[in-house]
Amino acid sequence: MTVIDVRDVSRIFPMPAGPVMALRGVSLTVSAGEHVAITGPSGCGKSTLLHLVGAVDTPTSGAILFEGRDLARLSEVERGNLRLTRIGFVFQRFFLLPMLSAAENVELPQAEAGVGAPERRARTRELLAYVGLEDRASHLPSQLSGGEMQRIAIARALANRPALLLADEPTGELDDRTSEHIANLFDRVNADGTAILVVTHNPALAIRASRRITMASGRMVE
Amino acid sequence: MTSLLLASRTVRRYRAQTVLAIVGVAVIGALLFDMLLLSRGLLLSFSDLLGRAGFDIRIVGGSGLAARLPIEGSASLIEAIRALPEVERVGAIRIQGATIGSPGKRPAAVTVIGATDAAEGAWTLVSGADLGSATAPCPLLVGRGLASALGVSPGSILELSIRPPAIRSVVPPVACQVVGVARFAFGASSDDTVATTLDAFHRANGEADPGDADLIVIASRPDAGSARAVAAIAAIRPGVRAYSNDQVVEQFNRNGFAYFRQISFVLSSLTMVFAFMLVATLLTVSVNQRLGEIAALRAIGIRRGSIASMLLWESALLVGAGGLLALPLGEALAIGLDRILRQMPGLPEQLHFFVFETRALIVHITVFVVTAIAAAAYPVWLTARLPIAETLRREVVG
Repeated sequence: MTVIDVRDVSRIFPMPAGPVMALRGVSLTVSAGEHVAITGPSGCGKSTLLHLVGAVDTPTSGAILFEGRDLARLSEVERGNLRLTRIGFVFQRFFLLPMLSAAENVELPQAEAGVGAPERRARTRELLAYVGLEDRASHLPSQLSGGEMQRIAIARALANRPALLLADEPTGELDDRTSEHIANLFDRVNADGTAILVVTHNPALAIRASRRITMASGRMVE
Repeated sequence: MTSLLLASRTVRRYRAQTVLAIVGVAVIGALLFDMLLLSRGLLLSFSDLLGRAGFDIRIVGGSGLAARLPIEGSASLIEAIRALPEVERVGAIRIQGATIGSPGKRPAAVTVIGATDAAEGAWTLVSGADLGSATAPCPLLVGRGLASALGVSPGSILELSIRPPAIRSVVPPVACQVVGVARFAFGASSDDTVATTLDAFHRANGEADPGDADLIVIASRPDAGSARAVAAIAAIRPGVRAYSNDQVVEQFNRNGFAYFRQISFVLSSLTMVFAFMLVATLLTVSVNQRLGEIAALRAIGIRRGSIASMLLWESALLVGAGGLLALPLGEALAIGLDRILRQMPGLPEQLHFFVFETRALIVHITVFVVTAIAAAAYPVWLTARLPIAETLRREVVG
């Protein structure tokens, strides 16, 4: 089953110095349980593609279908619900809420989705154990290392059992050893059935993917 | 996990901004609260003073309440009013300048009140006996300040000479016995007031008959009410200047206190603009500091409404905490300011500028709720329009 189907998508950013074409006719499909890595130099359009797939941006032309639904036909509320329940986001800078504990950060999207307190606490315990941080549940992000914060961010992304995990340079702020741990965690998430689309400069992370795509100047080159 | 929890954690996270906002709002709120107390304080206090005397209708001789002219034919008018079924009590009062002093000592200038028994109520007895129970031919109630200054107490003898201090008179002073010490409802703290019976008053004044009263005070029967009693009085003597307490208060409200209302309205509005600007600025700064965080929240599916609700709660917490703190602060400030303002010469001792009323509290809370919502409006708008992808990109590049 195809989770994401990107069809001839272009994205142009209007700039004062003239429009910038970030994506030029990109097409891509990601199937359920697939692990895809996108690599390429800075400014080649990797993150732009990830944002379009994640329904936080809209293409200038072309179409993106998520589980068969055209994102362009969804309202802002429907796109928000899709992001909340079917897509997990992992960011380079983690973006955990600093005033919430690790467990509360994982609970947040579940609470937003209307999951009851007992159920979401159980799911949070399960996810913290999954990422190996059950003993850090009550710690604030400021009390965690970079690697631990990213593991919590992955747990948060998995909270509502998404079909697709999007990761934008997830090891960009981590050392090699910690990056290795995160890569192992992605492998495990993927092995458990979640499709992953990861944008990375890190060859060690990209090599774990079942399919690697290289981009340059807004196009897929291989 | 509620928006309130997120908001409370956020305000704790930005401690310096939170303290600044709460203290700022508390100070501004205290000023607002004082303005609200001041806007109606004098009126309430004045109304309370009128009511405390136990009369709800006053007849004056002049064209207005401020004028003090004798009421022509007051004796027959009082008799006619007393016979009305709507009326319970009628009292006559005369007021004049006088001098008073211990025999052989330099006399002091005072205001002397001559009142019938029924008019007792214009003062509160502090010690001794009231005029009605006195047997002396010229019983005297002395104001607290004057009693203290002259060193007199019940039983002391004072010489009363009813005439303005600078006017010579052939009428000899009358020896009066102090029967009690009183606090006069409309007496100034600096003003020396004494009261005696109406009989003693006109004898001390060298008059052959009691003369016309300067003021007639009337208590209507509770089942009739002041409005019906005023109408009945007007029917027996057309053109009589009879005013119920409500009419007196209304007249002062229109003429005497309009300035206070206008000043307090302008100052209240200004203070709330400052509160709005302070909270709106701090919230906007706080939101700008965490745009990346908010964009990430939107990216993971947190709804606009949830973020708006969180910001509204943040505003409510800041404004609410400041607004609550403003109440004791404002009350303390009001007590201090009231003490200063009441030192103005000639003001009735029991008149207050700042008077607490539930209405002021309700207005205070309402204004603060509106301010909290208004202050959150711009940050909410900012986050609602936040371009998620662009903000995330900027955060990474930054």
